[in-house]
Amino acid sequence: MQKIMNQVKDKQKNITSPTPVLAAGYLGPGLRPDHDADWQEDLLPLNVDDLVLEIVGQPMRRAGRFIKMVCCGALICLKKIPSDLLKNKKIGIFLSTGLGNVDEILPFITQVFKHDGGFPSPNQFANSVSNAAAFFLSRICAINGVVLTVSQEELSFESALWLAQSYLAAGEIDCALVGGCDVFTPTADDYRQRMDLRPDNSRTLFMGEGSSWFLLGKNDAGKIGDILPVLLDCGDNGLPVLSAGENILWECSEIISSTGGQNKHRILLPGFRLSRFDASFWIENGWFVEDYLPCCGIHPTAAAFGLVRAMLGPGNGCYVHYNCHTSGRRAIVAAVKS
Amino acid sequence: MTKSNICIRGWGAVTTLGWSAEESAGNLIAGRVHPAAACLSPHLINSNYRAFEIPYSGGSLDKARLMLNSVLDEAIKRAGLTAAEIAESCLLVGTTGGLFIRNEYEFTETVRCNPQKETPAIACRNRGPGEVSDWIVRKFGIKGIAMTFSMACVSSSHALVVAAGLLEQGKIKRAIVVGYEPLLNLTLHGFASLLLYDDDQCRPFCKRRSGMQIGESAAAVIMEQDVPIICRAGNTDKEKPPAANKHVYKFKGGYLHNDNASLTSAGVDGVLVCSVIGQTLRKAGVPLQDIVAIKAHGTGTQDNDLSEGRGLWKLFGEKLPPVISLKGAIGHSLGAAGAVETAVWLSCCEKGIIPRSFGFTEIDPEIGFAPSQVNTPAACGAYLFTYFGFGGTCTSYLIIKE
Repeated sequence: MQKIMNQVKDKQKNITSPTPVLAAGYLGPGLRPDHDADWQEDLLPLNVDDLVLEIVGQPMRRAGRFIKMVCCGALICLKKIPSDLLKNKKIGIFLSTGLGNVDEILPFITQVFKHDGGFPSPNQFANSVSNAAAFFLSRICAINGVVLTVSQEELSFESALWLAQSYLAAGEIDCALVGGCDVFTPTADDYRQRMDLRPDNSRTLFMGEGSSWFLLGKNDAGKIGDILPVLLDCGDNGLPVLSAGENILWECSEIISSTGGQNKHRILLPGFRLSRFDASFWIENGWFVEDYLPCCGIHPTAAAFGLVRAMLGPGNGCYVHYNCHTSGRRAIVAAVKS
Repeated sequence: MTKSNICIRGWGAVTTLGWSAEESAGNLIAGRVHPAAACLSPHLINSNYRAFEIPYSGGSLDKARLMLNSVLDEAIKRAGLTAAEIAESCLLVGTTGGLFIRNEYEFTETVRCNPQKETPAIACRNRGPGEVSDWIVRKFGIKGIAMTFSMACVSSSHALVVAAGLLEQGKIKRAIVVGYEPLLNLTLHGFASLLLYDDDQCRPFCKRRSGMQIGESAAAVIMEQDVPIICRAGNTDKEKPPAANKHVYKFKGGYLHNDNASLTSAGVDGVLVCSVIGQTLRKAGVPLQDIVAIKAHGTGTQDNDLSEGRGLWKLFGEKLPPVISLKGAIGHSLGAAGAVETAVWLSCCEKGIIPRSFGFTEIDPEIGFAPSQVNTPAACGAYLFTYFGFGGTCTSYLIIKE
């Protein structure tokens, strides 16, 4: 047992202090900012143009749906902070997406492959590049500087979060706008295939979408919570062969202990790859479970939705999001509300 | 943060000039450069587009895997990495198309094998850009963090700078940075639709330039902080660099910037370019006059070359060192450009030569200089690398040859 504790602690040797969360905002398939609106998979995707007018203040005629979702989600978060507080601050944008602008790529490539000669739209091509969305966002927010687009399948958001923490710790930026966005593109079956979802490697839920964002800072003034240093590893942690649930429980409990949050409620946010997820096991071991996935549906950056929603929700405690990749790689993100 | 001493331990590349950085550099230096030609890969549907295509007789997907294998094998061998060192490394990948080639290949094969059936809709079943890094970590046993940047033309150059930053912070021990870009109908048609494609030739900085030509390629660059210069392959002299490399190459001054003025260009007045390069020099603590040569982005498009050329001239003036674009010889490899051009350049440096720039015939008075038209000795010193991409993205860094 001591060896196991040392292995876990070794992994966290280089981890720095928690990262303050200054603001958060999320958008799910129902397109109601910061709300769990009703939605149905077979009616997706919903038209986002009215929301764009409301949030951005003007139509975004040259942008596709992915770009609009990125901008709306990020602005829902950013607008919670008075602009004066961000003046003269170096803000970095860390956009994560598993599948990017599939909504622009598909119509473009369909035109390319038309036998009778299609009309590929140059605007669609320019927008299909994943960082086009980050460009539009940086323009709306008037942010110059570090803008990164990370795409690492279902670990995209956690990777972007880890990177943002690194940039903040290095002093390269004062604030980080970190978000995850993936959009629903028909068909649901194609979408499942795109994400390599099978009954044996994922939970059985509807496909969805979301655009969910944190604004992270470097000091505690005005914070709504903290994100602990993100743990990303290959899954080969040398732990003895316990059941998958017991392994995850151990890891999550250790992370809570490191926060000094043993006396707070412990809440698990289970990721979509936990195919054999058993809520009763966690409850028996003193945890609560907040199953956020029915609110947003499965999408590569659903972790962003779960964590942001938890941060803004009515509860209080230590939240731990756990997800993994089919290769065994894992990501654990712990968040503590103020 | 530890003092920056990032060394490049190894590199590998596959380009139209060869299936290794070594071979590519040799052909580049010798002038054995072939112009872009009509593409032969079975998944490419329009033979009117000329591109720098890597010849291969097998299937498109096989070629993709072989390219990735080759560049990593070459880089790992040059770096002398053990299996344990590979396992503890982190992987950063820069790619635009990723394995989108799978969608195009499957679609064209379906049509080819079912000529009597109605053409199906093309599906997008690849798992996004991150699929490339997933393939690499499984194949090579890399256990460290894996991350993919999908940022158009600066994907792998950004990955190099991010890797250097993480190494300086001590967040990672070693970085394997990979750039990968296959030829795709998506990108060939895409750049043509934007009128950024030159049907005749890629002519960086030339008055007659009218666009880019895409080049298929892949590369890997291995970086580490404070590389021990001891004992590789029987080298017992502690003062000498690893046996595979004649020189030590240090990565310095990595700078990323995003400008939100334009989605497709960096501002034709050159001010942004000047500013980005200035930041790199300040960060590296290297004065302007110490730059030996410049590996420019030089795409052959009107706007990029104008903005970059003007920016370089604004900064260096009459003392502008040799400026070289590799894209006239190997094409624009989009997301892979950073890693590929770095790897090929390093192999040229190892051979003691800075290669000339290809495709140039006439000075553009709006730019005011000609890229280097002769091979020159690769002296020890600082080499500047620049990249500019869609979304207003800019990367700049120095590699110091010692």
